[in-house]
Amino acid sequence: MMTAPQARPAVPPVVSPAIAPEPAPLLDVRGLTISYGNARGTLRAASDVSFAIRPGEVMGLVGESGSGKSTVAMAILDLLGGGGRVDSGEILFDGVDLRRLSPSERQALRGDRIAAVFQDPFTSLNPALTVGHQIAEPLIQHKGLSPRQAAARVQDLLAEVGIRDPRRVAAAYPHELSGGMQQRALIATALGCEPKLLILDEPTTALDVTVEARIIELLAKLCDSHRLSALFVSHNLGIVNRICQTVTVLYGGVVVETGQTGRVLSRPAHPYAKGLVAALPRITAERRHRLPSIPGTVAKLAGPPAACVFAPRCPFAEETCRSQPQAMRTDEGGDGVRCWKADALAGTPWPDEDAASDRRPRAAQPRSAPLVEVDHLRKIYGASRSILPWLRRAGTVAVEDVSFTVGRGEVVGVVGESGSGKSTIGRVLLALTEPSAGTVTFDGADLTRQIGSGDQTLRRRAQLVFQNSAASLNPRKTVGAAMDRPLVLAGRADAEERRRTVASLLTRVGLPAAYADRYPHELSGGERQRVNIARALATDPDFVVCDEAVSALDVSVQANILNLLAELRDEMGLSYLFITHDIAVVSHIADRVLVVYGGTICEEGPIGRVLRPPYHPYTEALLSAVPRLAEDGQEAPRILLEDAATAPGGRGCVFAGRCPRKLGTVCDEQAPPVHETADGHRIACHIPLATLAERAAVFPELADGDTRH
Amino acid sequence: MFAYTLTRLVYLALVLAVMSVLIFLVTQAMPGDVASMIAGQFASKEVVDAIAVKLGLDQPLIVQYGHWAAGILRGDLGRSLVLEQPIGPILMEALARSLVLAVVALFVVAVVGIGLGVLAAVRRGKLTDQLVSGVSYLGIAVPDFFWAIVLVLVFGSYMKLLPTGGYAPITDGFLPWASHLVLPVVTLVLMLLARIARLTRSSMIDVLQTNYVKFARAKGMPESVVILRHALKNALLPTITVLAIDFGLILGGVVVIETIFSYPGMGRLLLFAIQRHDLPLIQATILIVSAAYCLANLTADLLYAFVNPKIRHGMRAS
Ligand SMILES: Nc1ncnc2c1ncn2[C@@H]1O[C@H](COP(=O)(O)OP(=O)(O)OP(=O)(O)O)[C@@H](O)[C@H]1O
Ligand code: SF4
Ligand code: SF4
Ligand SMILES: [Mg+2]
Repeated sequence: MMTAPQARPAVPPVVSPAIAPEPAPLLDVRGLTISYGNARGTLRAASDVSFAIRPGEVMGLVGESGSGKSTVAMAILDLLGGGGRVDSGEILFDGVDLRRLSPSERQALRGDRIAAVFQDPFTSLNPALTVGHQIAEPLIQHKGLSPRQAAARVQDLLAEVGIRDPRRVAAAYPHELSGGMQQRALIATALGCEPKLLILDEPTTALDVTVEARIIELLAKLCDSHRLSALFVSHNLGIVNRICQTVTVLYGGVVVETGQTGRVLSRPAHPYAKGLVAALPRITAERRHRLPSIPGTVAKLAGPPAACVFAPRCPFAEETCRSQPQAMRTDEGGDGVRCWKADALAGTPWPDEDAASDRRPRAAQPRSAPLVEVDHLRKIYGASRSILPWLRRAGTVAVEDVSFTVGRGEVVGVVGESGSGKSTIGRVLLALTEPSAGTVTFDGADLTRQIGSGDQTLRRRAQLVFQNSAASLNPRKTVGAAMDRPLVLAGRADAEERRRTVASLLTRVGLPAAYADRYPHELSGGERQRVNIARALATDPDFVVCDEAVSALDVSVQANILNLLAELRDEMGLSYLFITHDIAVVSHIADRVLVVYGGTICEEGPIGRVLRPPYHPYTEALLSAVPRLAEDGQEAPRILLEDAATAPGGRGCVFAGRCPRKLGTVCDEQAPPVHETADGHRIACHIPLATLAERAAVFPELADGDTRH
Repeated sequence: MFAYTLTRLVYLALVLAVMSVLIFLVTQAMPGDVASMIAGQFASKEVVDAIAVKLGLDQPLIVQYGHWAAGILRGDLGRSLVLEQPIGPILMEALARSLVLAVVALFVVAVVGIGLGVLAAVRRGKLTDQLVSGVSYLGIAVPDFFWAIVLVLVFGSYMKLLPTGGYAPITDGFLPWASHLVLPVVTLVLMLLARIARLTRSSMIDVLQTNYVKFARAKGMPESVVILRHALKNALLPTITVLAIDFGLILGGVVVIETIFSYPGMGRLLLFAIQRHDLPLIQATILIVSAAYCLANLTADLLYAFVNPKIRHGMRAS
């Protein structure tokens, strides 16, 4: 059960309409138009959306955030909340228009024949009810089972979704389960009444890559064995590639392209689809490559489109595009595209970023003293000493024993799953939290001691950009005011001079200086993240910790921010500690990578080395879990890790509980030795380096002989 | 959960010990001298001194406190100077009457307030919601004694339906007992209802927007199950805390209402003791009020933990 190579043809066989009659679609959405109305006016979240899902077919619904994916999914479930209203269209399920059914008839279908799983497993289960109770509910409601019968069925369902200990899990409350187990429980709930259609709204977005890989595998298997149809909402093209037979691309509430997954992702016809595919960060060992991005933000329509919805952002737009709405053009194979130039653009790729801004890499810095030195860092949260014996707590170890350096102008990536201690390392480096043991040296000075003695210069020189760009800006303060504060704190007294600094910083991150007067809600997610970066640069730092700085952004915007960060590094010689769970992102920006697991570094080295064998067993699993597009190369057999059973800890290897290559008790009892090579590649494992090197490369397409060794 | 309860009880004991010291010191500083009060206005200095010696009042403060505290630990709250009776039974009677008031009033507040809150949340933005919100705004804006006075005037003085004050023990029969309770209870309910309804409404609105409620609907659960089983249980958490604190407050005496309705509860007892400079009675009453308040808080926290499995299990684990 550890490794399960998945053999699925990239393009599933399609029954040609000429040979066999097309099976009637299970779900046929026709001309669906949905709008949200509130005091500020109406927003058309879906315009004339049509698509069909045949029995046993999984259809991906992709598009940037705000393109209307969830809106369509919720409309099918009749769960549009908050002023959402279906204006027109039909939702034919098994030939019956759901919109003509009464609310109670639709309620009876929900959870029975149409089941759903949503994005965030951590909040989709009711914290006050046991998991078993929640799985049993639809069985009792729709199938008329007695609570006792339902309880028995719950055990079977949990076992079917791969939970090893169904009895315990059924009796547990949600918070006692890991995210992966919660998502499995939700899938079990959805499967309970043997539905025909699954609505999956980003079912793995909140999960770690290794957990995501297992959930996707489970879903693919279940859809196959139960002949389930599914609507799979996702912004992750790699996952769509893995599980969907067809895909529909939504932009501004309008379907712009639809077709077979393999074709759409390898030869996108619509410019927007081209842009989405191009902006996807791929695993690369060539850091200097700039990612193509889609400038601008998602269109918001108030009424029926009067022009091509994508025209404002389309590099191929012409006058014709702006004067009339585009019609869907469908070919005989059923693939459709909403762009009159699609055929003419067939061979044209999405344009590369401006070549002029592509800077030559600076000559490698002479081996000077590193900027940041971390030595035997250890951090324990929540330990408490007390006179009352039952209050004494050992605390949780967030960082076990970590040592590394960040050179001047160097970008060090930190990858690992949630709870591996990534963010804690960043927080300690910025002196936002005190280490429990070990030292952090910043430019030769002991950080903790320096801050303790009231010296704030180090704080000025190290800054943070973190994930939630919305929450990190005060909604009642203008951008200018938010950026003014760090300047005042840095002792810049002259208000006029500060104003000029703010303007130049905004220009620096590619925003108009006039944005200083805007409020955060007037900015898009990408713009907000730019402001955060500009604010971090205000004090002229040497070192920036980026904690999941691009994770919440759409690929189109993400590419843009990554390019900006790379540019700033090249021009200002900044050093970054780049914390992320996304290996592909790290491969684009980092010089060196630390792979952390359970608060320890299990592998460390130049990015080009970490992406190639020899791998630490955890790195190998992590890399093989990265979802990719077919054209990027043959997929290596995926290594699927068990859900974490026990929290790492103890004397042995922290990964021993989940390691697919565990040697035996030696791994449990002895800390693994560190194999180190001359170019600074280090692997902590009991398996000899030569044996580790025998494994096949996860990314065979990466050419050997990378310059960055 | 057990360890948590134990810890909280230890803290409770500590808090009460500190409180007892404070109460003792503050009351000592109050004007009036116990010995001269006992001796009477015209007693000679010798007599007063003799009484002081007899009562141990000439001893250092710390020794006096020791005697007092030891007495309390033995269950002896001392004697009231004015009433010339042991304090224990007096206090217990007042406490029992306050308890009746608290239990009845809070029961009504809980049922009606939570009901209205849920109704308003479910019909958010509709007429029902605006009605509930408007009325509860009125309830919060108007001072509590206003209702008391209005009620006394309308039901007591004009309509003569209900007694406007006093208390009848249940041994006099159920009807007299209940009829004396109606007006104070209704006043208390009017006073507390608005806050509970608003609190329930807002937390219910939050919960109704959570993913698990959406998921419950996606499972095809009928709306009644979604609201009562999935939403309400989580939405009640903050309400429970406030209810328990209100309970503690009523138990400790609501002076204004008890005075207007001449209801002999803890509030009136304390007022009486202070007006008559009955030091032992003041000390004992304040101590018991504090204890009642702390216990109500503790109950709130335990109840909260009990309803919330996350906390319950967190405690078990630690
Ligand atoms: N309750 C609501 N009231 C008003 N507008 C809404 C509401 N829900 C969504 N919208 C708007 O409708 C549009 C489509 O939103 P939707 O949630 O369907 O996008 P999405 O493609 O699912 O995005 P994401 O990838 O972020 O989940 C957006 O512009 C959004 O702001
Ligand atoms: S119709 Fe014009 S603007 Fe729209 S996608 Fe095609 S080329 Fe671009
Ligand atoms: S030391 Fe053992 S358990 Fe740890 S990674 Fe190596 S083989 Fe796996
Ligand atoms: Mg969505």
